Amino acid sequence: MTRRQKAIAFFVALCVLLVAAAISLNIGWIVITAERARVRVLVFGIITFGLIIAGLIVYTVFLVLEIRRNEEHDTFINAVTHELKTPIASIRLYLETLQSRTLNDEQRHGFYDVMLADAERLHRTVDQVLKAGMASQKPKVIARAPVDMSALARECVELALARHHLQTDAIVLESHDERPLMARGDADELRTVVTNLLDNAVKYSADVVRVTVAVAAPSPDTVWVRVHDRGVGIPRKQLKRIFRRFYRVQVRGFKQVKGTGLGLYIVRSIARAHGGRVFAQSEGEGRGATFTLELPRLAS
Amino acid sequence: MSRILVVEDEQHIADGLRFNLEAEGHEVRIASDGEQALASILDEHQSFDVVVLDVMLPGRDGFAVASALRSAGQFVPILMLTARGRPEDVLRGFEAGADDYLPKPFELAILIARINGLLRRRRWNETAPAGAAAPVTREVYTFRDRTLDFTAMEVQARGTSYRLTQMECDLLRYLVTHAGQPVSRGALLENVWGLHEETDTRAIDNFIVRLRKYLEDRPDSPRFLQTVRGVGYKFVPDGT
Repeated sequence: MTRRQKAIAFFVALCVLLVAAAISLNIGWIVITAERARVRVLVFGIITFGLIIAGLIVYTVFLVLEIRRNEEHDTFINAVTHELKTPIASIRLYLETLQSRTLNDEQRHGFYDVMLADAERLHRTVDQVLKAGMASQKPKVIARAPVDMSALARECVELALARHHLQTDAIVLESHDERPLMARGDADELRTVVTNLLDNAVKYSADVVRVTVAVAAPSPDTVWVRVHDRGVGIPRKQLKRIFRRFYRVQVRGFKQVKGTGLGLYIVRSIARAHGGRVFAQSEGEGRGATFTLELPRLAS
Repeated sequence: MSRILVVEDEQHIADGLRFNLEAEGHEVRIASDGEQALASILDEHQSFDVVVLDVMLPGRDGFAVASALRSAGQFVPILMLTARGRPEDVLRGFEAGADDYLPKPFELAILIARINGLLRRRRWNETAPAGAAAPVTREVYTFRDRTLDFTAMEVQARGTSYRLTQMECDLLRYLVTHAGQPVSRGALLENVWGLHEETDTRAIDNFIVRLRKYLEDRPDSPRFLQTVRGVGYKFVPDGT
């Protein structure tokens, strides 16, 4: 048992003991006052004890939730420390190598590429932390312009293929609708949503990446962007929790994927700010997952 | 030429380390997770002169890998390399059996110097194996049928010999040089581990527990490594 699990067990046990004490006092009170047939005192006592018991339970639940949150926060700090320090360590290592060793042109260019990729990774992490910070504040006014979701999805797919060095058939874009599917919103933010979903789909694919992206209009006034992968899947219990801040999905037998635990939280915040929503479906562990971004459709 | 195993899941850092260590004339193998590292050392019996071990690995982390190696009787020198540089993490690393610890981002020159330090120590140990004619400079201390060999990092007690990790060895040496005097946990942290910050000094207790297992007849009522209440520990050579 970790220290936190011990703390939780302790507070739950304390709560049970105190509730048991309150209940036995309550029973004693009922017995004593019932003998003397004082109804008003009896009712007053029962209500008071009821309030004490309810308060104890609420207090304990609150405490346990707070301990859990604290734990998630710790994991987040660790993850971010790692995500920030690793690329810095790598860039530094390569710079020192460039400084202290004689290298040929090919090696030097290889090192430049590695450092650029690390700088990009660092930038993405910082960006995510900043975006999550903004998302947790009051909903801000977003720029609302018509956005062609099919075009946006195509752009994001191309970007993801390039970034993850994938063959063009690893991520397939399907669009059955001939007409442009428009939504109203901030193109940059919506691009972040689709990019985050695609990054996850690639990261949580086991060995072979096979991702399908579909843009569709399920009803006249909504537009969907669905990202479907054949990866590790999500246990049913975690389907909702994954959108919480700092939450990392845990799948048995699959190594923990690195990241900050902020991606889906940002996705959900942006979707909500656009008057839409995002949800996940999965047949279970090992069976892939589907994420759907639903936005109000703009009549074109 | 020395064989070095680099256990690192970040491809870029692993490649960078390989390039530099090979340029220094070492042979380098890379394991991208703990499982793979343990498999190549324990199952395939590959021998390495130094292991450079990252802590945040997918699956089993570096702490678990180090403890697994030590409990399997593998005493290859381990240099831990990690983004977590808090004193608690450093202590946990040593407790797991690391010989040296370097936080990321590290300086390349320092990393190479530390690796060379570990290699040098290993060579000394090999050229002066236990039981050979002891050179004059050998640091050996004997008390009550127990022999502490600080050079070979070995303890002979109660008919058995135990290998010590670098930290166990340094801690024991410090206690022995201050025999008969109570030594505070703070002083141990500062002089043995070189840590100055506020740290949970209880981490030391685990080391003492291990040393007692080697030295004491009854580790739960120690005679040689005594606890001094409210202060720390005291080494008493005659066991009274």
